[in-house]
Amino acid sequence: MALVEIRNLTKSFRKGDEVITPLEGVDLDVESGDFISMMGPSGTGKSTLLNMVSGIDRPDSGAITVDGVEITKLSRGKLADWRAANLGYIFQTHNLVPVLTAYENVELPSLLLPISAAERCKRVELALEAVGLSDRADHYPRQLSGGQEQRVGIARAIVAHPTVVVADEPTGSLDAATSVQIQVLLKRLNRELGITMLMVTHDPNVAAIATRRLYLDRGQIVETRSDELVGQV
Amino acid sequence: MMRLFGRFAPYVVKTLWRHRARTLLTVGGAAVAMFVFCFVGSVQEGLRRLTADEDAQRTLIVFQENRFCPTSSRLPLDYVGRIQKLPGVADVMPVQVWTNNCRASLDIVVFNGAPPRQLRQARDLTLIAGNWSEFETRRDAAIVGRNVAQRRRLVPGSQFSIGEMSVKVAGVFSSSVPAEENVIYTSLDFLQYGRGQDFIGIATQLEVKPTEGTDPNELARRIDEALKSGPVATTTRSKGAFQTSTLSDLVDLIDFAHWLGYACLALVLSLVATTTVMSVQDRIQEHAVLQTLGLRPSRIFRLVVAESMLVCTIGGLCGTAVALAALGLGGMAIGAEGVTIAFRPSMQLALLGCVISLGVGIVAGVFPAIQASRTPIVTALRQG
Ligand SMILES: Nc1ncnc2c1ncn2[C@@H]1O[C@H](COP(=O)(O)OP(=O)(O)OP(=O)(O)O)[C@@H](O)[C@H]1O
Ligand SMILES: [Mg+2]
Repeated sequence: MALVEIRNLTKSFRKGDEVITPLEGVDLDVESGDFISMMGPSGTGKSTLLNMVSGIDRPDSGAITVDGVEITKLSRGKLADWRAANLGYIFQTHNLVPVLTAYENVELPSLLLPISAAERCKRVELALEAVGLSDRADHYPRQLSGGQEQRVGIARAIVAHPTVVVADEPTGSLDAATSVQIQVLLKRLNRELGITMLMVTHDPNVAAIATRRLYLDRGQIVETRSDELVGQV
Repeated sequence: MMRLFGRFAPYVVKTLWRHRARTLLTVGGAAVAMFVFCFVGSVQEGLRRLTADEDAQRTLIVFQENRFCPTSSRLPLDYVGRIQKLPGVADVMPVQVWTNNCRASLDIVVFNGAPPRQLRQARDLTLIAGNWSEFETRRDAAIVGRNVAQRRRLVPGSQFSIGEMSVKVAGVFSSSVPAEENVIYTSLDFLQYGRGQDFIGIATQLEVKPTEGTDPNELARRIDEALKSGPVATTTRSKGAFQTSTLSDLVDLIDFAHWLGYACLALVLSLVATTTVMSVQDRIQEHAVLQTLGLRPSRIFRLVVAESMLVCTIGGLCGTAVALAALGLGGMAIGAEGVTIAFRPSMQLALLGCVISLGVGIVAGVFPAIQASRTPIVTALRQG
């Protein structure tokens, strides 16, 4: 059984009289340790799919099972608990709490776990170390560069040792050089810590670091080889 | 409180501190409103004490019929003897009242003249400065209620003059009846014969103590009946009823003022709620991020309520504390026609202030908290 099983997932939105159905009967299996990148034209439902895997949005029909738990059936509260224990979410931008330091931001998800204060402290320090920001722990988001902010966001996503980490255009608002840093970091986390990752991107170079590359178009997922993909975009 | 904040206390505090101007203005507003609330509350407490006091129910006041201002009630002193002869009467004390202001006033000075020995027995007065013997022997000596002393800065030995009246302070007293503490007592003679006074053989009112087991209302009726044939007709009522009727204009006003108290609460409520709504709307996205990290909607709810409660409680407690301090130090009183209402701080008022600040803070936070916890995460994230 795959770590993440997406079965016959359908989601539509209503805009006035118009009904948009970005996802129609989508199936996908993600194995433990996979690093999946997903590309596709704007508005095809990549973010929508990611949000449903993250348990922050619900499908109209279909099921998502993560590590044996059918998250599409959980109540709002239970789903929140599930996210705290199993999900790391890397946002594109504006994701840190501005009144908290880098350390406190990374600590946030771990506050929800049943672990000791000492264990929590250790995990936060390790996470900050993993993204190379131990020396910036006391800095506030406004004192950090865009790339550093994103690294704090990544540390926050991994601090709770989640089952799966999702990232929606993690390099979308970074310059090329910083983007490369983040790519290297994500790749390392996947390789060295075995973190399962599901990432959406518009950048073929970013997509190329993944172990599996998917293409989403007209509600369906196609698995591609990297050379094809680079050619297309 | 700690449970509600839990590990997220730093987040709540820092969030409030981030918009400190807004937070402090709200705290200030809540403080001012609670200050007014406590003030109004203390006036009402004072009025309630005046009329509900046991002594006020048991003591009768004989006053000239159809007269209200103490200067216009003139009862012949031989009435004392006539009342004393009635069955059921334990004691009769003539009291001469002099006030600087017959109308409703915040700076009323009331002199009560009574035979010193009788006064000492009849009233529950404790001297906190000075001594009784000087009061009993010196003709122009006076003992001064704690409130007046505070307000006018009087100590034993001071000379206190107002209008034609001039007395030497022999002592300062406290009383279990706060309204007493607004009064200055002199001997009866002094008020009768003093400079510019013309009350020889006359007293403003007579205070009658019924014996145990005598129905005060029935005795009142008998007193008026017995004195009907005298030169001056009388109206006898319990002290509580007498004071309420004397203060009737003020009573209406004070009854009305309790709406002012409620208005203050409504003000705090809307002020704190507005600030919290603003703060929540500023952070729709932040709350969505927190929910994505795994905070339950119920926890978001509690965080917002905690925020509102903290602001309201800090403001409310400051307002309450300042109000109680002002009441304690100011020795304020309002009065009319020789009867005064004391504004005193009280334990109940302090407790009420705390409970209300907390309660209003929670109520004010509920609506914004529902708003914050109900917003769908994805919609909120897309607003950025
Ligand atoms: N809450 C919503 N209400 C209405 N329509 C929505 C809503 N959310 C998404 N959509 C629509 O669903 C479609 C898919 O949106 P989604 O954000 O998943 O696309 P995307 O593939 O992530 O695009 P992009 O690459 O530009 O980020 C779009 O057409 C979008 O307009
Ligand atoms: Mg998207």
